[in-house]
Amino acid sequence: MSNNEEILLKARNIRKSYYIGTPNELEILHGIDLDIRKGEFVSIVGQSGSGKSTLMNILGILDRQTVGEYSLNGIDISNAPAKELAKLRNRHIGFVFQTYNLIARTDALSNVEMPMLYAGLSPKERRARAEELLEMVGMTERMHHTPDELSGGQKQRVAIARAMANNPDIILADEPTGALDSGTGRMVMDIFHDLHEKQGKTIVLITHSNELAAETPRIITISDGNIISEKTQEIKIIRPATEERKEIC
Amino acid sequence: MLVENCKLAIISIKANKMRAFLTMLGIIIGVAAVIAIMTVGNSMTKGIQKQLESYGVQNIDVYITPFDYNAELSDADIENSKFKPEVLHKFSDNFKDKVSAISVESSVGNGVVLKNDKKATVDVTGVSAGYFKANNLKLKDGIYFDSSAYELGTNVAIVSDLFAKQLFGENYSAETILGNDFEVNINDEYINITPVGIYEFKAQGGGKQKTSPMYMPLKSAWNLNHDQSIYYMTVVAAEGQDAVKVSEDIKKYFIDSLANQLGDKFTVEVYSNQSMIKENTDMMSKITMAISLIAAIALIVGGIGVMNIMTVSITERTREIGTRKALGAEDSMIMLQFISEAIILCLIGGLIGMIIGVTIGDVASKLMGYAPTISFASIYISVGFSMAIGVFFGYSPAKHAARMNPIDALRYE
Repeated sequence: MSNNEEILLKARNIRKSYYIGTPNELEILHGIDLDIRKGEFVSIVGQSGSGKSTLMNILGILDRQTVGEYSLNGIDISNAPAKELAKLRNRHIGFVFQTYNLIARTDALSNVEMPMLYAGLSPKERRARAEELLEMVGMTERMHHTPDELSGGQKQRVAIARAMANNPDIILADEPTGALDSGTGRMVMDIFHDLHEKQGKTIVLITHSNELAAETPRIITISDGNIISEKTQEIKIIRPATEERKEIC
Repeated sequence: MLVENCKLAIISIKANKMRAFLTMLGIIIGVAAVIAIMTVGNSMTKGIQKQLESYGVQNIDVYITPFDYNAELSDADIENSKFKPEVLHKFSDNFKDKVSAISVESSVGNGVVLKNDKKATVDVTGVSAGYFKANNLKLKDGIYFDSSAYELGTNVAIVSDLFAKQLFGENYSAETILGNDFEVNINDEYINITPVGIYEFKAQGGGKQKTSPMYMPLKSAWNLNHDQSIYYMTVVAAEGQDAVKVSEDIKKYFIDSLANQLGDKFTVEVYSNQSMIKENTDMMSKITMAISLIAAIALIVGGIGVMNIMTVSITERTREIGTRKALGAEDSMIMLQFISEAIILCLIGGLIGMIIGVTIGDVASKLMGYAPTISFASIYISVGFSMAIGVFFGYSPAKHAARMNPIDALRYE
């Protein structure tokens, strides 16, 4: 990861406060400075209550910072209207949640198509792309199943396919393996590694697990709303081959 | 986008069939009630209108009437309340273009005819040539009176088929009747009369009638009565003429030309059948409207039900809304999704209600003896209205959903 790479995500002095009835003010983030460059695989690690999820929500433009500047792909989001934020989320960010957040009652295919629907793609384009993505995560056979007919690992794979739908600049994964057993969790992590290595995706992984964080080339540790350490490392992990991976789930 | 929204709406309605049905019930009942009432109302209006029209759409009754009904009238006054025969000719000349027939009648009284040991009673009435047109009376056999019969007042008659059956049996032959004189006893006077035509007698109201009218030329009746009084006349406005306007012209004409005769005690009144039909139709429409409005309250109550269920549904799906927003749905898209759902819910309810309403209206009209006239206006109105309810009552919950902060929606438990 060279420092000359284009900065995708730039946060300066991000503070987030909640008001629990005036005058009590609870500051969760105490001024975070963070740059994430294109093609990075970064993990943000911290205990629960450290503020990592709040940070992710701000990075994902699901929430606004109280103080500070944040720009995504060079676009300052501080003063952008809601409609513009929706567009930014749609085109530039792919979310993977701990609880999958698939839309109930609609099948895997429709779930993957959804971001493309909001992007205004034609039904034909949506369908072709969704099928391609589901194939990538090995879910072709179950693409017509609704979320309640899928296992946790399968749901998360559909969610990853959905996150990739509009080919976003960055994938934000919030505890993506948190609800999975170690086997399926491993497989989900491998998909992220594949996306990073083969497609050069920028991925931000939010986790409480140092073990998972250790797999990523850059680790940011957050505690009590401050970045307390940051380290980069060369990664050479021997992971099971794709064929073996499919057997796990 | 619209197609997807409809699909989503149908999926979500299907997921809660019972709830959706109960929600729709209010709309179904409202729409069905409005359509049924409007259909019955329309059928009755049309039925009554048709009945009134059978008396002649273009008919105008003209009569002289006192200003004060309670005033005591001398014999001379009573004479002044009748049309003089010579007035009639002038009137008919003046209104040649506007009027196609003038019907004047003069009742002679009840008569008895005995023939072949059988008896028939008749109501003898003298009529002017215009009578048959004004009353839409068609002959089955024979001919109408010719002009000489009217001018001379000969004793010829047009009798009913009932009369013919009474005297000659069900299978009478017209030849044996027409042209063969018979004797009528009217007011203890025996008169020889030659029948020239037979008309089809339609009994008024229910029951079997034994006495049917026998028509003679007006002058013949005058001769029998020794009186040429014309108490009123029925005028048929010519085809293409506005009967209401012609009736006003007639009134003005008589008030002007009979000024001396009318004096300060009498005036001329006209009554056009068309204005009566219009009055009647207007009244029926108003009644139908009023009852429909009451039924429409059910629609509003139904709409509130839709609003309630949309609010519940949106609360239940808060996380889904959050997810959709995270995936890039704009507020307007979320709003459209939920409004579509409300509209589809109402539209399905409206269509079911329409089918039920049309069926009830149809059956009820038939039971009441009117040909069912399905009110298309009511169908457009209620289906349109139920969609409007969907938009109106779906708007506020949908807006609430659309405005949710994505992170709050995602975190919602």
